[in-house]
Amino acid sequence: MALFFAVPLYVVLCVAFGTVDPLFRTSVPVWNPMQWQFTQLATVFERIVGPENFYLPPVLRTIGFVVIAVAVCLAIAFPVAYFAARHAGRHKALVLTLLVAPFWISYMMRMLAWVNLLQNDGWVNKVISLNGLLPTEQNWLAGRPTTVILGLIYGYVPYMILPLFAALDRISPSLLEAARDLGAGGFDVFRRVIVPMSLPGVAAGMLLVALPMMGDYFTNDLLSGSPGTSMIGNLINNSISTPGQSGQAAALLLIVLLVLAAPMIWYTRTIAKSEVRS
Amino acid sequence: MSSAPRQKRAYTLGTVTVIYLLWSLVPVAIAIMFSFNSGRSRSVWQGFSLRWYTWDPQGSVLNNESLRTALTHTLLLGVLATAVVVPLGVLFALALDRWRGRIPTGANFAVLLSFVVPEIALAIGLLFMVTWLATPFELGTTAQVVGLITFQLAYPVVIVRARLLTIGTQYEEAARDLGASPLGAVRRVLLPMLYPAIFVSAILVFADVLDNFVLVRYLSSNAGTETTSMKIYNTARAAPTPALNAIATLILVSSFVVVIAGWLAYRKWGRSDGEDTGLGAIATM
Amino acid sequence: MSDAEQPRSPLSRRRLLQATALSLPAAGLLSACARDSGGTGGSASSSGSSASPSATSLQIASPTNPVKWPISAGNEPIAAGQNPEQGGNLQLYSYADYVAPDVIASFEEKYKKYNVKVTYSTFNDSNEALAKLRGGSTPYDVYTPSYDQLGKLVLGGVIQPLQQSYVTDIGNAYAEFQNPFYDQGWQYSAPYTLYTTGIGWRTDKVSEDVGARPNPYDIFWDPKYREKLAVLDDTREAIGMTLLRNGQTDVNTGDDTILNAARDALLEMTTLTKPRVTITGYTDIPEGRLDLSQAWSGDLIAALGYLPQGVKPDVLRYWFPADGKGMVNNDLMVIPKNAPNPVLAHLFLNHLLDPAVALANFQYVGYQPPQVSLTPEKLVADGIVPANLESALVKPGYFNSGYRLLELSPETDAKWQAIWQQFKAGA
Repeated sequence: MALFFAVPLYVVLCVAFGTVDPLFRTSVPVWNPMQWQFTQLATVFERIVGPENFYLPPVLRTIGFVVIAVAVCLAIAFPVAYFAARHAGRHKALVLTLLVAPFWISYMMRMLAWVNLLQNDGWVNKVISLNGLLPTEQNWLAGRPTTVILGLIYGYVPYMILPLFAALDRISPSLLEAARDLGAGGFDVFRRVIVPMSLPGVAAGMLLVALPMMGDYFTNDLLSGSPGTSMIGNLINNSISTPGQSGQAAALLLIVLLVLAAPMIWYTRTIAKSEVRS
Repeated sequence: MSSAPRQKRAYTLGTVTVIYLLWSLVPVAIAIMFSFNSGRSRSVWQGFSLRWYTWDPQGSVLNNESLRTALTHTLLLGVLATAVVVPLGVLFALALDRWRGRIPTGANFAVLLSFVVPEIALAIGLLFMVTWLATPFELGTTAQVVGLITFQLAYPVVIVRARLLTIGTQYEEAARDLGASPLGAVRRVLLPMLYPAIFVSAILVFADVLDNFVLVRYLSSNAGTETTSMKIYNTARAAPTPALNAIATLILVSSFVVVIAGWLAYRKWGRSDGEDTGLGAIATM
Repeated sequence: MSDAEQPRSPLSRRRLLQATALSLPAAGLLSACARDSGGTGGSASSSGSSASPSATSLQIASPTNPVKWPISAGNEPIAAGQNPEQGGNLQLYSYADYVAPDVIASFEEKYKKYNVKVTYSTFNDSNEALAKLRGGSTPYDVYTPSYDQLGKLVLGGVIQPLQQSYVTDIGNAYAEFQNPFYDQGWQYSAPYTLYTTGIGWRTDKVSEDVGARPNPYDIFWDPKYREKLAVLDDTREAIGMTLLRNGQTDVNTGDDTILNAARDALLEMTTLTKPRVTITGYTDIPEGRLDLSQAWSGDLIAALGYLPQGVKPDVLRYWFPADGKGMVNNDLMVIPKNAPNPVLAHLFLNHLLDPAVALANFQYVGYQPPQVSLTPEKLVADGIVPANLESALVKPGYFNSGYRLLELSPETDAKWQAIWQQFKAGA
């Protein structure tokens, strides 16, 4: 099974370090590492850090979008997970089911729902302008970063709630009782017991959301038609079938994977260790 | 240990949770509602009708071939992928649990990686692999299923393994002491204990496959291999009719039917254990 | 338990060395497993490309340099006089909403006794389509490119020459399409639709007369329409329009200075008006999501069918230079070499050249067929096209005065694609 990850990865390397057919300008993979050409990688690298670095704005923009989206996801997910873990009482199963429901609803359908609502004649505009009384209608789908970030948040926040729930649920109530017995007030218990104990879960949840978000391109495509909000995923997706550019897309993908490798590996190691521990 | 601040906190958090649930689910409910719209609009209610499901001559799910194909192909992928991934995942989980050493650790590593690898990376890797290597299959349904298996294998492996860890080895040992063969012990003692975990993972995989977008799109070939999610992506900004909402609703209904069926089966087989490990198992991912 | 420390070792130096040591034989293994690229003639093997066409053999067809493509030995037209494939499933590959459902249904009806079905697959842009066709894994029967790909399609062995005896209705089309500059003797292609590229808008959203400006293309740089307009999601069309706006007339240029000026203008457009980039203007304009857009002529006629209730057809407008000095092109129908149903494919081409079918197609798709009997005057007189959209009809004289988007050499193509990539990356 590791083969199914390793072989595609190797092919991507061969395409990224390959050449280009002179007529059709399709990519020609080079299988022998001795013959690998690094021109495509160099081109991509230059586009990020060189003088004509027009890849840099989408890269920075993606990082910005992801940071904001993850922060807001955390702000939403933590209270909700906390409630489900500690206060739901006998409704716990119901609450959990409702929280898990978005997993069974297609991401595309959830985005479609928002595209419908955000149309110029959609319900969101109707509500904020009181059905045309106030001139506060907005052109939501016209290339707004806000819309894309909100879309990312809406789409990915369920993925953060579950790990947070798991982490908070695992904190045994007796531990909290002990802290209170020792004189800690409510807020102190929260700050000095709950937060530190849930940190690994928080970190895991943030990675579980942030890493896939870095490769997202369809949220931007659906919620904004404009190049002004394009993300790294769009750079890759747009180039992959363009003649002469699929090797560059592969090279960019490799750079992204390289940068994300450390957090990805940290996540898998932590979860692997916690599996053993439990 | 005063309960008043605690109650107040519960109340605030509860409100936040309710608001979140509304924000999360109401847009979808509205989309479902508009699939029953009698007119073409997806934002102006023009009356209730099953037009986009049945009788519109060219645009309804029943009459429009591309919509119908998207629906059936999505369900087909769901069934195929689940049918392969769940048994495979159970085997993997058993192997990882029983086998110590570097290989299973590496495999475990790879399995967990699929949770955090951006799907576009796997999709492009597989696309290149199918395009440039003489794989026995081409782009299309087979490639899509292979991609989905790779991507989804983590779910059953993680869930079943978590359950295995809590079960421990004492039941099998007891069975073997009573004369069962190792394989028989696994089959007749361990597997039934795993049914809840297997069901949960089957439900999750099926629902996830129905939603999948990036992988199936890169590995698709012609219109016969288009899924609902691709259809929505292709049409949402162009000239969508409520028929798009209709196929999305139908897929949603399929997911729910499977989830409810699985939950009922879980109740029938799982509760005898006395442990409510299903939801907890999901949460430990 | 030692397992807890195990996770460290997969990343150790030893594993890394092992992986590197494995990669060389793995490379050998994989190159042996490499697929013969698509089997359509282009070679991707590292063992030299003597069989594949080189960049230098690509002739660039133009009105002043008409090209007659060679018919190579292994790629001859199919035999004449055959019956359609029984039970065939015709694989049609085109843009979305570019072939009318009625036309497909009438084709299936016409050949009902052969149990014919049609499957209509779509692509978003022609580069993606070409990549899929070359890959060869998905055989299609009919493909609708423009002639800017024709050279590559022929030389790469992607399409087959036509057996013209099946396509008798070619006589219904303008005579020049039996010997067009891009395919002398119509060996590989039949004409599909004609169109011009201009600007479309709704008069109730845009109060000015766009055509009255000294340089109408300038409207895309006018901040008054910020976030309300779009350019076409097509490399050649968007950059071509920028060239025209800059006063250039060669829309196939490879000149670096001129192209750099176009690139700078496009990037300026992004900051001034934040345009959307889309080909769905045919629904966005009538449904009010866009006030104004670069559009193909057919888009505006198709838009008539997407107007919401209560909006009259006379709000739609299309501008194209009155002297015909704008972008004029036509799309083709070709048959890929590995078509599973070649006879049916030919018959489908013939079907679309029938005047009644062409008219039905036009009324759904909006793009004008090159039918001799369907003159612009007749279309307006018969009420098929309202008078306010007469400018969206292609007049025969346009082919002499207009600018054509010709095939580009690979180097020039690379320059254009690089500009487009930079534009789409967003400033």
